[in-house]
Amino acid sequence: MLDRRALLALAALPALPVRGQARTRYVFDQSVGRIGFSARHLGLFTSQGQFDRFQATLLIDPNNPQNAAVECVVETGEVSIPFPGATDLLRSEAYFDVARHPTARFAGEANGLTEAGGFPIAGQLAVRGVTRPFRMTARLVERQGGVARFQAEGEMRRGEFGMVADRTLISDAIRLSVDVRIQA
Amino acid sequence: MTPERWSRPQRRLHAWGAVLVVLTLALSLAMVALPMSQLLAKFLAYQLHKTFGLLVLILTLARLGFRLARPAPALEGLTAARQRAARWGQAVLYALLLVVPLLGYLTAQAAAGPVPTTLFLVIPVPHLLDPDPALYAWLRPMHQIAAWSLIALAAAHASLALWHHRQGLPVLGRIWG
Repeated sequence: MLDRRALLALAALPALPVRGQARTRYVFDQSVGRIGFSARHLGLFTSQGQFDRFQATLLIDPNNPQNAAVECVVETGEVSIPFPGATDLLRSEAYFDVARHPTARFAGEANGLTEAGGFPIAGQLAVRGVTRPFRMTARLVERQGGVARFQAEGEMRRGEFGMVADRTLISDAIRLSVDVRIQA
Repeated sequence: MTPERWSRPQRRLHAWGAVLVVLTLALSLAMVALPMSQLLAKFLAYQLHKTFGLLVLILTLARLGFRLARPAPALEGLTAARQRAARWGQAVLYALLLVVPLLGYLTAQAAAGPVPTTLFLVIPVPHLLDPDPALYAWLRPMHQIAAWSLIALAAAHASLALWHHRQGLPVLGRIWG
């Protein structure tokens, strides 16, 4: 099993391509990317967490990223958030209900168009056994040498997925974010 | 000239300080004991604990200001050794009343989950430190040890005041009312 230092060392490396015909298929996980989320609390502050284990596939032409497609499966039991006791709370039945729903999944495709701030990726998000349309906006953040860094963000309403606990303290709107570097 | 009693503002600040210390202690026990399933209550207990703790710090600074500006009343009826012990006890109490809230304030800042500190959920109190788990692991037990020391010493202080009162010494009259 890799220790934390080994994972950090791997995180410095970009996802490597698997060449296809038009677009290139990249398979990546937590070693080269990050999937995070954030919530607001009483309008006072924002908390941030992440999924420490996931598998994602990105089909993209780095020169023409608005035709990208992505599929991502996160292990809900590997959610982490830096507040004492909060990680167990997020694993509980009231939140990700890890025992019954060990994974959450997003699959989406860009529509070939660009808009201010990036290019939209529309698809389906499945959390707690509920699947709903979901949209993220992705953008090429930087490109240095052969490495391209992409970020994507979207906002889900947790209540739509049956995650309704603590609505006074934790916002219904949850921002999801993906950050990945690929070897273009 | 040595006054017979503490001044009215000093007596009020002493009473409010004592009430706030007891409330802050009660909130600290509640906030830790509340389960995560009662998240809002837990969060509010933490915020009120921090609010009352900071108020203790502010009141203590005000008390020190009065204390430096005005001589303490005489400790009539006590031996010289007991008077010295009383003065030392008060000095340590003052020190703990400053140190405990300061350690708590720093503990809140060093915690890995950056929750802001506010007075009554309204007035933001700036954080001076970035989250630092190693520092937090040191600060948290220090805050707890200092807090329990404060509670033990304050209890002894109150018990001795009552005991001296029952002995017929006018110690309570100097601070009460």
